[in-house]
Amino acid sequence: MAKIEDLKEEAKKLLREGKVKYIIGYGAGSNGWLAAPLFIKKPEDVDKLVWDPTCVHNLVRFLVDEKRRKARQKQPDKRPVGIMVKGCDSRAVVVLLQEKFIDRSDVYILGVSCEKMGVVDDAKLAKKLAGKKAKRVEVDAQDRFVVTTEDGKIEMAAEELLAERCLECKANFPVIYDLLSGEKTKRPLDKPFGSLEKIESLSAADRSSFWKEQLDRCIRCYACRSACPMCYCDECVVDSINLAVTADTTADEKAQRIHWIQRSAESSENLVYHLVRAIHLAGRCIDCGECERACPLDIPLRFLNKKLEKEAKELFGYEVGFDPALPALISCFRDEDPQDFIR
Amino acid sequence: MKRTGVFICHCGINIAGTVDVKKVAEELAKHPSVVHAEDYVYMCSDPGQNLIEQAIREKKLDGVVVACCSPNLHETTFRNAAKRAGLNSFRCEIANIREQCSWVHKDKPKATQKATKIARSAVEKVRQNESLDALSVPVTRRALVVGGGISGLQAALDIANTGFEVILVERNPSVGGHMIQLSETFPTLDCSQCILTPKMVEVSKHPKIKLMTYSEVQDVSGYVGNFKVKILKKPTYVDPAKCTLCDECTKVCPIVVPNEFDLGLTGRRAIYIPFPQAIPASYTLDDKNCPDPFTTIACGKCADVCNPKAIDFDQKPEIIEAEVGVIIVATGYDLYDKENMAEYGFGKYADVLDGLQFERLCSASGPTMGQILRPSDHKEPKEVVFIQCSGSRDPENHCAYCSKICCMYTAKHAMLYKHHVHDGQAYIFYIDIRSGGKGYEEFVQRAVEEDGVVYLRGKVSKVFEEKGKIMVWGVDTLTGRSIEIAADMVVLAQAMRPSTGAQELAKKLKLALDKDGFLAEAHPKLRPVESVTAGMFLAGAAQAPKDIPEAVAQASGAAAKAVAILSQDRLFHSPTVAKVISNLCTGCGMCVAVCPYDALTLKDGKVEVNEVLCEGCGTCTATCLRSAIQVKNLTQQQVAEMINACLGG
Amino acid sequence: MAEDYEPRIVAFLCKWCSSAGSDLAGVSRMEYPPNVVPIQVMCSGSVSPLYIFSAFNKGADGVLVSGCHPGDCHYIKGNYYARRRLNLVKKLLEYVGLETQRFQMSWVSAAEGTKFTQIIKDFVKELKPLGPQTKLRRNP
Repeated sequence: MAKIEDLKEEAKKLLREGKVKYIIGYGAGSNGWLAAPLFIKKPEDVDKLVWDPTCVHNLVRFLVDEKRRKARQKQPDKRPVGIMVKGCDSRAVVVLLQEKFIDRSDVYILGVSCEKMGVVDDAKLAKKLAGKKAKRVEVDAQDRFVVTTEDGKIEMAAEELLAERCLECKANFPVIYDLLSGEKTKRPLDKPFGSLEKIESLSAADRSSFWKEQLDRCIRCYACRSACPMCYCDECVVDSINLAVTADTTADEKAQRIHWIQRSAESSENLVYHLVRAIHLAGRCIDCGECERACPLDIPLRFLNKKLEKEAKELFGYEVGFDPALPALISCFRDEDPQDFIR
Repeated sequence: MKRTGVFICHCGINIAGTVDVKKVAEELAKHPSVVHAEDYVYMCSDPGQNLIEQAIREKKLDGVVVACCSPNLHETTFRNAAKRAGLNSFRCEIANIREQCSWVHKDKPKATQKATKIARSAVEKVRQNESLDALSVPVTRRALVVGGGISGLQAALDIANTGFEVILVERNPSVGGHMIQLSETFPTLDCSQCILTPKMVEVSKHPKIKLMTYSEVQDVSGYVGNFKVKILKKPTYVDPAKCTLCDECTKVCPIVVPNEFDLGLTGRRAIYIPFPQAIPASYTLDDKNCPDPFTTIACGKCADVCNPKAIDFDQKPEIIEAEVGVIIVATGYDLYDKENMAEYGFGKYADVLDGLQFERLCSASGPTMGQILRPSDHKEPKEVVFIQCSGSRDPENHCAYCSKICCMYTAKHAMLYKHHVHDGQAYIFYIDIRSGGKGYEEFVQRAVEEDGVVYLRGKVSKVFEEKGKIMVWGVDTLTGRSIEIAADMVVLAQAMRPSTGAQELAKKLKLALDKDGFLAEAHPKLRPVESVTAGMFLAGAAQAPKDIPEAVAQASGAAAKAVAILSQDRLFHSPTVAKVISNLCTGCGMCVAVCPYDALTLKDGKVEVNEVLCEGCGTCTATCLRSAIQVKNLTQQQVAEMINACLGG
Repeated sequence: MAEDYEPRIVAFLCKWCSSAGSDLAGVSRMEYPPNVVPIQVMCSGSVSPLYIFSAFNKGADGVLVSGCHPGDCHYIKGNYYARRRLNLVKKLLEYVGLETQRFQMSWVSAAEGTKFTQIIKDFVKELKPLGPQTKLRRNP
């Protein structure tokens, strides 16, 4: 993991000179070991920034809130917002730029490299600790995790504790940034979609039961949607509960919201909801895993999005979040796109 | 509450034979928004249409569904009927229960059930249809013709003679195209230049035609009736108004390059006039060759000897913008590349020529003043072999298509050769003789009977040089004999292909190409002069290989189509176009990227629709993640209800 | 499976090629099973994934999307976007366990009445052994 002393210096300077409105970063969490999002407005608070393998959150989601806030203000402060991003998060910024949701001048990107590592999977950690409480998680010079508990330190190999998405990460360093802390070192990656194999190898019937079992637990709390930086629509197409009504919303517009599915948490409706979400994230999901982390029922949502990421790569050679100038996955085609499924 | 009327047509027994039309009417009458449902034997008949009109008036219908044949047949009929009764025509929808139901099924209950679903689906659609009026746009009453060959000249003259302005763009320094290079034309053997130059002069003097030679179309935007074009006018470095055609400049110019007009049989200077009758009659300083690309020195000798001071080295390329209502593309052809015909020694032996080169040799204004001489030693060839289908009709190695004119011009070449060299012998290798056309078959017969041309049916297997002769080996497949001719000259009837650069132009104009690279017509039979883009028309060999009369006919056809647009005050356009629900639009631009017509633009973070450019395909709708862009009268909400109706019951 | 089970199919047909091809099948009096109800859309490129999910949700046993052959799209390139988008939809539906036969796409030109007929015949034949689609179907 990178050292962030240079980042802190820059952050202080930016705040002191008023070049950014505020900085979104990571700070110490309230529950002990896990970092938490931190909003810094004063240079003297910069030292509260932390960077360790517990910085799991994708802070880019806060840019969505920032944009909404700005839209409501009469005379919004147009200065950029400073934001700490990991490799995956930076690709979320690229997608938001690609979709013109934000402008490059809206953000000052403080990139931090995971340097061959990544973030911890809290479920894996809990299992390892078997009831003990973690105080801190660090990475040592040999790229091993060092977990400090009440009873002392435990060392673990990277693979034992890394989140699955980090094990399948294509770029463990930011692809877009104004300042980069750390080196652009990649961890070796032989199976970028290895985690899907288990589901893919099932029969259609077994896949169906697998997903039924998983998605039947969904209570449609929409935490997945709220945590996702790509779910920035004011109103989701699957529900009409919060139509963005403004002074010029016509009755026609209100009437024209389509009830594609019911809001009840039934098997069919849950499945269709997650299908719609998956297809709308095709070519946009950067695998930050926030949906899955936010899910109170621990539904493995990442496997839905990862599947389409894989298909986009294999069918169309499309990789998400590397170039803001590229058209979106579904806004372009190649003459040689496969059509063996078409009669 | 919506007030929909449903009308079920029996179409005699065409529908009623398989579909229980009474039952369909009964079922539809149960629909909460249907206030009127009836069946009739022929809805499209006058009494049938009267029923609809009457019901609209009496029951104050706000929507009509006619369940009958395919909308391609009677949609207009019934929409007009609705309009007569005071209902907006877009509030009438067709449910196709004949082609897509009664004609393809036999089981009456099942066909009836399906017809009911189709009709219900149409009711759901019409319930949410908006009243719309056709969009209309004004027309710029000016035409652009691209290409100054015979097709372009003809089209430009035909349009200009109806009184509309024409801009004629030609990329070469003179108009005339390939036709001006020809010696005589089949089947009448009249001199090509003699019949073409009057047209060239007419174009240059026509008050309605703005001739822009040495110019290229650089960019086209807009739509039918309202195109904006950018034309690049390349510098000729000579002011035609001052030039007196004294020809002193070419005498002093030290740079010699192959002469395109004579297809490299002669040379020309870097400053040149393509041919004596060139229009405009002026010289061009070819800046690809002057200053000499190797020494990069411009000697300036031409300017020194130019008394009228017509030479201006400071000329710059100019971009000229123009607005036009229609565009005719007449970019013509080129011959299939020499390099591809190495098997016939083309490019290797000086005395293996292509058809156009042979035309120049026959031409009185050509490099030999009309004497047929071998390029290698300037001797008169006594035996000449003509090879037809050189590159044509060979899907494995070359072009799959027939170049159409080669049979005729080869017969002409052989004939002209005999007229010049009375004691010579002409041989023609051919696959088939295709001489369909007025006077064409007689012309070929004349070549055989009067000029003793020997036709050999078969392919040439080998061409090689031996002792100053060009040996041609082949087989006469009619007799089975192998044939060996020691020829003095070989002439290849090279395949025609789309002219160089036509592909790039097609891209700029957003015109489609066929598999061979020729411009695609809108329909191969019924719309042969229209392109797929409204307001753009095709003429001449740019669309497919064709001879002069055909090219002229198509040019006149294209001109007539163009005039049909130019003579309108306004053009009408379907109003079923995209609309943006601006509250939901985030300005991501995905729809902008997919629109095939560039009808969408981003403005202040929201998408805007140019309704005239929009064709209503709905690709934007499927792309938008927020359902923020919808096609009028086929919105996603309508489709959602139609899906419901199709599955219900 | 019950002998009298009749699968319900929704077919999204583009106006210019596939709907016209289906008309041709009618004009030529070719016979095919009445299980399919057509919805005419302007272009296969306008078929949103939502239409397909919704059709299955509303009880379709099979969904067909048919457009012009590549290169023949009336709207120049709508079918290419459809091809890409619907390939993803197909992969996704298969991934969640929907039988692969239930969602199909075809290219049918205005001249291919025979092909259209055959596609519907095959589709119905393939759907029958699968029985009703329940995975995405909303409980009535």
